[in-house]
Amino acid sequence: MKIIFIGTSSGAGKTTISALYCRYLYRKGIKVTPFKASNLSLNSYVTKNGKEIGMGQAFQAWASNIEPTEDMNPVLLKPSGNNTIQLILRGEPFMDISEQNPIDTKMVMEKVCESFDRLSKEYDAVVCEGSGSPVELNLMDRDLANLRMLRERSIPAILIGDIERGGVFAAIYGTWRLIPDKQKHLLKGFIINRFRGDSSILKSGIEKIEKLTGMKCLGVMPYLNLKFPEEDSMSDIGGELKGSDVRSAFMNNLDCLIEAATENGLDLDHINMIAKN
Amino acid sequence: MDNITKKVEEEIKKGYIGSNHECPYHPSHFTGQDCTFCYCPFYPCNDNQLGQMIISRREKEIWACTYCLFIHRPEVAKFIMSEINRLGITTSKDPRMQDIFLETKKRFFHIGKALMILGATSDAGKSITVAAICRLLHRRGYLVSPFKSQNMSLNSKVTAKGSEIAMIQVLQSKAAGLKNPDHHMNPILLKPKGDTVSQVMVEGEPFGDYNVEDYYNKFVPGPGKEIVRKNIDFLKERYDVVVMEGAGSPAEINIYDQDIANMRAAEIADANCILVVNTEWGGSFAYAVGTVELIPEIDRKRIKGIILNNIRGDPKKIEDGARLLESIIGIPVIGIIPHIKLDLPSEDSEAFRGMHTKGNGKIIVSVIKFPRIANFTDLDPLFMEDTTVKFISNPEELKGSDVIILPGTKNTIDDLLWMRANGLETAISELKGKIPILGICGGYQMMGKYLKDPAGIEGKVPQTLEGMGFFDNITEWNEYKKKVIQDNGIMIETGEPITGYEIHMGLSTIVEKPLFEIDRYSSKENEGSVREKDLTFGTYLHGVFDKPAFRKYFLSFVKHDGKYVEIKNPRDYDELLEDNINILADGFEKGLNIEKIIDIAGVKR
Repeated sequence: MKIIFIGTSSGAGKTTISALYCRYLYRKGIKVTPFKASNLSLNSYVTKNGKEIGMGQAFQAWASNIEPTEDMNPVLLKPSGNNTIQLILRGEPFMDISEQNPIDTKMVMEKVCESFDRLSKEYDAVVCEGSGSPVELNLMDRDLANLRMLRERSIPAILIGDIERGGVFAAIYGTWRLIPDKQKHLLKGFIINRFRGDSSILKSGIEKIEKLTGMKCLGVMPYLNLKFPEEDSMSDIGGELKGSDVRSAFMNNLDCLIEAATENGLDLDHINMIAKN
Repeated sequence: MDNITKKVEEEIKKGYIGSNHECPYHPSHFTGQDCTFCYCPFYPCNDNQLGQMIISRREKEIWACTYCLFIHRPEVAKFIMSEINRLGITTSKDPRMQDIFLETKKRFFHIGKALMILGATSDAGKSITVAAICRLLHRRGYLVSPFKSQNMSLNSKVTAKGSEIAMIQVLQSKAAGLKNPDHHMNPILLKPKGDTVSQVMVEGEPFGDYNVEDYYNKFVPGPGKEIVRKNIDFLKERYDVVVMEGAGSPAEINIYDQDIANMRAAEIADANCILVVNTEWGGSFAYAVGTVELIPEIDRKRIKGIILNNIRGDPKKIEDGARLLESIIGIPVIGIIPHIKLDLPSEDSEAFRGMHTKGNGKIIVSVIKFPRIANFTDLDPLFMEDTTVKFISNPEELKGSDVIILPGTKNTIDDLLWMRANGLETAISELKGKIPILGICGGYQMMGKYLKDPAGIEGKVPQTLEGMGFFDNITEWNEYKKKVIQDNGIMIETGEPITGYEIHMGLSTIVEKPLFEIDRYSSKENEGSVREKDLTFGTYLHGVFDKPAFRKYFLSFVKHDGKYVEIKNPRDYDELLEDNINILADGFEKGLNIEKIIDIAGVKR
């Protein structure tokens, strides 16, 4: 099984929903691992064997009841000021990226794919997370975590749109529209996240997006005031989990969220079907 | 009437004077106004595109010119005075004045144009874009008005006529150089009462409570559309450009036909549109493409430009993307706006979510974050001083406070009971006399001895509650009525000027030493309560910190680490806003083609 959750913007809820799905599969007895090709974050976690990865993947690994490893986040980009970014490759500092010293995308992507393949062999399910929006017109050729993963490993994708700020239909449709035609068939469905109120009001809009794009709406996630670690540098929500019981609090939150999401009609069976193909 | 005739005779004798900076009321309408005719030589013109017949306080029909700016347009005043001189006219009673009026109107009166700023999301930057464009057009000499058909906001202000409109339209009208924002600029104001119910204010007055469904199915297709039409037409008759602000996203296809805040308003106003996209969260190209393409073609044609807003880092890096975007949707990107650091109040409660502290000064101000908190922009001027403002909702968070503020609320009784239940009331009472405690509006009502609600107007069930007992005042809700009024006056302690506005249900009997003396129509009225030895202060005045007087006085009671804090010459908040509007406009001017905006609006350059 493999699947990738792609957001229409930063902070759309990719990390949480990926963690939720990891947890759900683990609870069903499936051997599952998280994966995120590339992370832009200062918030990192050091694995037991001393490798540095994004915090989000560490939490997702725990949600899958496994220890985090460097394969789960082979590229970590840490902004270090002065227009340079430190590249952590498979858990180790590799180079400082700057305009004069650009990244060798081809080489890095090979390492990313190696990690992905290794996880695919070891686990029954690989739950991937995209990064930012996949269709930043000025950055698309440099993007590793979204389109390139789709292209290299044909991973079926689910878009996540955040309704809190409004414009979610435009975000989902616009993202689908700007994904290159060759990869469009991999976009199987979408999830509307952080909705408040009675979701029946969205019905006609959802139907229209389904008709226009051929993607299926897999659920409307309720707005829940749950605290999650925010691994994304651009997020303004701010993680608030502190102290020694962070992990167990997070797992409890996830379990609640799975219940709330299924009650609100998140179609996990359908997501399984997409992941199996 | 004779009085006006006499005044006009004096004006004619004086001749053309242009702007009158000597006058203490200048500018009474807008910056750059012409004061040659302070009293209109055509009064009463009986022209409904300029003034209107109203019922006076003495219940007589009189001709009102309150909203007419025509006579104060420099080109108009100049022309009229030159005609008066050419014909040797000395009094407004001269029959030839009618000819001059008709000729002036023919030459200079025109119906203005509307320009609409849409946002791909909430917080896209629509409000500040409207403010920036208002200021840039105002600088070029256009008479400009902001407009937002429907605004959902907890922060409202009171106009000179005692109408309630959203705070942000007041700010935008300031950017447009206008002195008297009025209810036409925000004819529908939704004040959320819970997750699904809002109080609907129409033209500044309470209209009724609606849930989401009834609002869209009953209010909008019923009175809603007509309200928008009436007010937009009114403004177009009086201004060169009406810069309209959309609400949320215009591409909410599930409610598209009922959405009167976006493309329906644009259609009613016959406005061309500009779409603003916030680049901060990523996905901005997708939002732009999706928004444009989900809007039906007939409306889409109105969108003439895209603004990519709030760019962090080098704006040049986004240019390739912008060109690609243009080729995909066939609409030019007319602005690439960098992130501009501003001290302006934020649009609405959306921006409030997730906010816990603001500022990083020495004085720790704890503001109680009531579940139904309202008008929290009252606190913005505090950020000009050495403060850190914390929004808190439980007793533990009170630790380390130098000051406590109980702000306004949509429901005094419910929020007092909330404090009573979670222990905040007790914790605050224990600090009485130790640190200054200020209540504003609802917070002030709570500080009194009793809250009497015999008909259950505020608290849904009839009840009399004990207040916090900091003052012996008694507040009563005897009828479903809202007091909405602007206040000007002085601080009794120092005689310095003070301004503010009141918006509240319930009236209080005040038995404490007052803080302010407010000028009323023909009398003076005491306002506020203070017990200096208890360090307790209370007022109904929103915006009480705007003028330096009360800010300075109140903070003089504050100790930090056992020492009184020093407040050096505090500034008027209005001046700070004015500075920030200029910073905003300058920032926009760098990344925005304003000539293009003028063309899109369809006015003469």
